[in-house]
Amino acid sequence: MPTKEEVFEKIQAALVDALGVDEEDVTPEATLVGDLGAESIDFLDIVFRLEKAFNIKIPRGELFPEDILTDAKYVQDGKVTEEGLSELRKRMPFANLDDFAKNPVVQDFGNLLTVADMCRFVESKVEVTD
Amino acid sequence: MMRFEGKTAIVTGGSRGIGRACVARLAAEGARVAFIYQSNQQAAEALIQELKCAEGQLRAFQADVRDLQRAHEIVDGLFEEWGQIDVLVNSAGIVKDGLMGAMTQDQWRDVIETNLGGTFNYCHAVTQPMMMARRGSIVNLSSTAAEFAARGQANYAASKGGINGLTRSLAKELAPRNVRVNAIAPGMIETDMSQVVRGIAGDQIKKMIPLKRIGQAEEIAAATAFLASDDASYLTGQVLRVDGGLSLGGY
Repeated sequence: MPTKEEVFEKIQAALVDALGVDEEDVTPEATLVGDLGAESIDFLDIVFRLEKAFNIKIPRGELFPEDILTDAKYVQDGKVTEEGLSELRKRMPFANLDDFAKNPVVQDFGNLLTVADMCRFVESKVEVTD
Repeated sequence: MMRFEGKTAIVTGGSRGIGRACVARLAAEGARVAFIYQSNQQAAEALIQELKCAEGQLRAFQADVRDLQRAHEIVDGLFEEWGQIDVLVNSAGIVKDGLMGAMTQDQWRDVIETNLGGTFNYCHAVTQPMMMARRGSIVNLSSTAAEFAARGQANYAASKGGINGLTRSLAKELAPRNVRVNAIAPGMIETDMSQVVRGIAGDQIKKMIPLKRIGQAEEIAAATAFLASDDASYLTGQVLRVDGGLSLGGY
């Protein structure tokens, strides 16, 4: 059973490998897109690496719900609708969407996910000790 | 040339025709090769015997390429064993020609699901290992039929046109991961699959081909091996016509 520290270290290693960033840049506060330069294909790469590192299965779209953000049902004029926001909250209980919800421009979505969110996501999948 | 020494390759539709020639070529150039065959176990065994490869260099798997789960099982198993997947050649293909008014939905579905669906399935299965390894080369067998019309081939032409689109889109997607994706569009090639049409219109077709002859499966395999190899390291998203000049048009 990994500790929270070990979860962070493995995520850090996965991000260093997937994004080619320096270890010291991968802080808990760093945003994946804005600070670490992740693009959509990188999320798939990250998912592959997390699955391997933690021996877990991550349903596609759970970490980065691209399907919701590109679904005309949930997006209007470039913004996520109320219905879309509630779908996102259901899908991503590990992320804090409150700030994004104030002005939910799809383009800005990638900017809200941080390394700490990712740690919470993995902690919800594996049992961790303190 | 031994361009594939220490490399691994998966070839679908490997027991017959162009796929078989690709298996032989890649193995001859040193690759460890696993090929997928649909039903003809005899042909698969004959190929293994004929190529006289070193122990373990050549493996055969019976599978229906329409089965995505099976594609993942095979690829995951090979990845575990080999530790890397360097090359994928999607060569499994069928023809079930028919004029539109007489074409059954089964004819449409079988061709689309085998040719295009099978290509999707094996691309899907190798994406993870190739992306993570930051290397790989995928070659999809298309056809000049994707762009040059023949009566009664709505299903086949659509499947091959789909392969061209899939190839270009996936090439863009995987390029940042150093995985190249290309297609080969053979013209008229001497295989079992083309024998009906060659039988009916062979002489007429030969006249239309600037090189004045039907192509051989080995010539497609040579072009496939080129695209799969590091010789083509700056080539991605391309559909290479290997057709003796048939598609040049003009007069």
